[in-house]
Amino acid sequence: MRFADPDQLQDYCLNLPPVPPRRLWVCGGPGCLASGAEDLLAALRMEATKSGLKDTAELSCEPTGCLGLCQRGQLVTTEPDGYVYEKVSVEDAYEIVDQTLLAGLPVSRLCQDPSDPKAKNHPFYLPQKRLIMRRFGRINPERFDDYLRTGGYQALALAVRLGPEEVAFRIEASGLRGRGGSGFPAGRKWKACRTAEGDQKYVLANGDEGDPGAFMNRSLMEGDPLAIIEGLTLGAYAVGANQGYIYVRHEYPLSVARLRLSISNAEQCGLLGDNILGSGFSFKLSVVEGGGAFVCGESTALMASIEGREGQPRVKYVRSTERGLWDKPTLLQNVETWANVPLIVENGPQWFKSLGSESNPGTKIFSLVGQVRRSGLAELPLGTKIRTVVEEVGGGHLPGRFIKAVQTGGPSGGCLPVSELDLPLDFDRLPAAGTIMGSGGLIVIDDLSCMVDVARYFTKFLMTESCGKCLPCREGLAVIDGLLNDLCQSKAQIGDTDKLKELALTLSETALCGLGQSAANPVISTIRYFHHEYIEHEQGYCRSGRCQGMFIVNIDSDLCSGCGACQTACPSGAIIGRERKVRQVNTSKCISCGACLATCHFGALKTARRANHE
Amino acid sequence: MNEPSQYLGPMIKGTIDGLSITVRPGTVLLNAARTLGIHIPTLCHHEGLPPDGNCRLCVSQVGGRLVASCIYPLTADGFQAQTDNERIRYARSLVIALMLIRAPEAPVVVALAREYGVTEQPRLRRVTADGCLRCGRCVRACLTGGAEAVSLVGRGTARIVTGPFFEPPPDCVGCLSCARMCPTGIIGFTELFDRRQIWGRNFQLVPCPTCGRPWATEEELARLNADRLCPACRRRAMAEAISSCPTEN
Amino acid sequence: MTNPDQKTLNSILDGYPGEPVNLLPMLQAVQTKFRYLPREAIILVAEKLSLPKSRVFAVANFYRALSLTPKGEKVFTVCQGTACHLRGAPVVIGALEKALGLNLGQTSPDGRYGLESVNCLGACALAPVVTVDGVLHGAMTAKKAAKLV
Repeated sequence: MRFADPDQLQDYCLNLPPVPPRRLWVCGGPGCLASGAEDLLAALRMEATKSGLKDTAELSCEPTGCLGLCQRGQLVTTEPDGYVYEKVSVEDAYEIVDQTLLAGLPVSRLCQDPSDPKAKNHPFYLPQKRLIMRRFGRINPERFDDYLRTGGYQALALAVRLGPEEVAFRIEASGLRGRGGSGFPAGRKWKACRTAEGDQKYVLANGDEGDPGAFMNRSLMEGDPLAIIEGLTLGAYAVGANQGYIYVRHEYPLSVARLRLSISNAEQCGLLGDNILGSGFSFKLSVVEGGGAFVCGESTALMASIEGREGQPRVKYVRSTERGLWDKPTLLQNVETWANVPLIVENGPQWFKSLGSESNPGTKIFSLVGQVRRSGLAELPLGTKIRTVVEEVGGGHLPGRFIKAVQTGGPSGGCLPVSELDLPLDFDRLPAAGTIMGSGGLIVIDDLSCMVDVARYFTKFLMTESCGKCLPCREGLAVIDGLLNDLCQSKAQIGDTDKLKELALTLSETALCGLGQSAANPVISTIRYFHHEYIEHEQGYCRSGRCQGMFIVNIDSDLCSGCGACQTACPSGAIIGRERKVRQVNTSKCISCGACLATCHFGALKTARRANHE
Repeated sequence: MNEPSQYLGPMIKGTIDGLSITVRPGTVLLNAARTLGIHIPTLCHHEGLPPDGNCRLCVSQVGGRLVASCIYPLTADGFQAQTDNERIRYARSLVIALMLIRAPEAPVVVALAREYGVTEQPRLRRVTADGCLRCGRCVRACLTGGAEAVSLVGRGTARIVTGPFFEPPPDCVGCLSCARMCPTGIIGFTELFDRRQIWGRNFQLVPCPTCGRPWATEEELARLNADRLCPACRRRAMAEAISSCPTEN
Repeated sequence: MTNPDQKTLNSILDGYPGEPVNLLPMLQAVQTKFRYLPREAIILVAEKLSLPKSRVFAVANFYRALSLTPKGEKVFTVCQGTACHLRGAPVVIGALEKALGLNLGQTSPDGRYGLESVNCLGACALAPVVTVDGVLHGAMTAKKAAKLV
């Protein structure tokens, strides 16, 4: 089928064959895929076939995009009832098919709340507004018709009637801001690229999701690849580009495969290629697989990489919208920003502005990970409080622990203490507090994590990922890393914290690219909010029990339940006591490894300074 | 070769350190400052090479932010730039302190350290003092000369200048432009009679057809396609050519 | 299969037009086939694209997905993403190092095993994770990791 004009597309969509009355969707997000989504799908299909659903079996049990609640995977959701089943295994297949697919009844034992099996009332989903992720749980991302059935390509059909000016206007009026990190107004970029002189222009999508602890772009590329492709097509139409590239991280082979498949499907339907929908507009799109370099998420480095060079940033005093890829005007946006575009074009800027907050309209996907009960992917209106995400969506701290900080924005972001958790997640308020939105990673850190170690972890990451081009980032990070290592190994000297702070602040002033300038953020923000931990490390004490040899363990006899978990974990036999009795620590035997600390669910284990450091 | 040509339009006015100046749009801040006689320290920059802005020593302040003078184009009328204040000196001091770790003995770094009152801080020493600042002037010189025999290889602190496969570079023509461009003088080469050695490669020097002094490598001359005269003899030949020209009245 | 002959290399590389934009895809194709970039491949790619060898070598060195030395037949990859780090990836690495007798980043002399790390696999909810030849194992502990070997 090749659509010659918008009407043909419309007709085709209206005449798609009907879907079966009930369907099962198996989560195919990164987490569930890893824990055997394919086996579960095969088991469900087999049971369905056995039950005589042969003709429609293929449409009844399907893989879909990430359902978000990764912690509780394998996940299965149902249509039309909207039940969500957690921790599903192959053994549950028969019951699910028998009860739900055939009879429409919930399998209560697989639900978080047996009395209310619906996803929309689940505490994880309740505060969410899933727009970008609206097709997750409703389509098979590899099936082109599923995309069309759920409103896909309606925006493009509308756009070719509206004309490029109106498309660009809608994006500008919507107030959409770039989802990749800095929140730069998308409309300004579009306008600059649209008005830039040049016959050859490019549109690029950044899918080089390198932030450790973030997987929203991966889920999007694998869960709804065509939304990104449609967004790019709309962007190209608006700015007058005829070639586009999606740069995808090397570690995501499934994303690459799905995007390539979707591109070829769109080409076959005439939705990519020459004279799209009879508009005279032609657009070619290809996927570029990255080489495994974090720095390639930086816009100029990404372009260098596409051009076939080392992924090194260049000094950016001229904007990419004027001189970008091969020095031609280029519109580069994150894949999530692109996925917003069809929604805005179709529903209009006013609708978009009604979501989120005044200067931060729309929704954003956050990946919530770390020491929290329910980690996963959540889409929320911008301006939602961090506390809402951590406590309601994420269900708060792990048993026996308390939350110390939330790290936002990936390695270049910062750590916020619990006192700042009422901050809204938006592009303006987070920088004021010393961190950034970044691509939307939220990492929950509890009392078992040492803030100096957290800073060291991110610094180490950035140091090994530094491209090495400019001197402050290359040499400066090595020095900062060295000082942090000393702090975590009782080798520090009094005054090291001040030295670190000076170095970090100057690094952010002098580095060449955005990554270098923000590379010291983890250090700066942890010193700002957790200065006392740095001073304690200078003195050789780690209160969190993370830095080995820098603490001893005591047991609070009032809190100890006598379960003995700590005793089992202790490798040196320093924890003594009898069955179901309060335990004690033989301090002379304690090697301060910290192995016991995480085992206590009652908060009875406490760290203290080692005697020789007092 | 610093002036990007894509800027058009009328001349623009602004100030550098309070002094008024009128420049063509796109003029690089460093060059504009120099026409005013203002000194900005540089290291990775060289007039004969494409600018790279990687050492960050030349930072100056435009508006509220620090920029690399050697590569920052002045584009808007009414620009206000500062090339020396406390913030700038502080930033440059850090850059120099980091340079001092890598190249503590290089005269250029020692002089900068003296100028900015920076002393070596042993606590900061985390990498080996191999004398190389990774400024890539050698690589850019090699690129400009057309050989592209050596490149900066590796990431982060592991980045080094080397030939392909960490071996003597097969495309090297032995022209020495890398060694001459190196600000710290760490690129070693030897010349003995008609032999030259650099990057682990040996070259035979070709004698000048006039004076007979061995002066350039065969590979270098083949690339230049020159008349094989050494610089001194070429100057003499040029002078003779000019003086023997019939004078016109 | 790791012995690169000109014919195999040509068959991999001939499909690409001789433009610099294909540098990374060509190197990746060779890497996939041989599990590393043989010297001959780098030279051949440079010739096909009319690029200096120094530049192709620099690019080959820059990207982590490319390797100049053969990778192990069975590669254990430990995720070092933030979530995995916080939930004990360092302990898992220690256990694997001990079980394999290799340091992180090494390949055993017989070329059978390799131990590597990756920045993030995007399976953070299952942290800490290890992949063995691309198959992901979640919620690892020191004991479970040793069992994988």
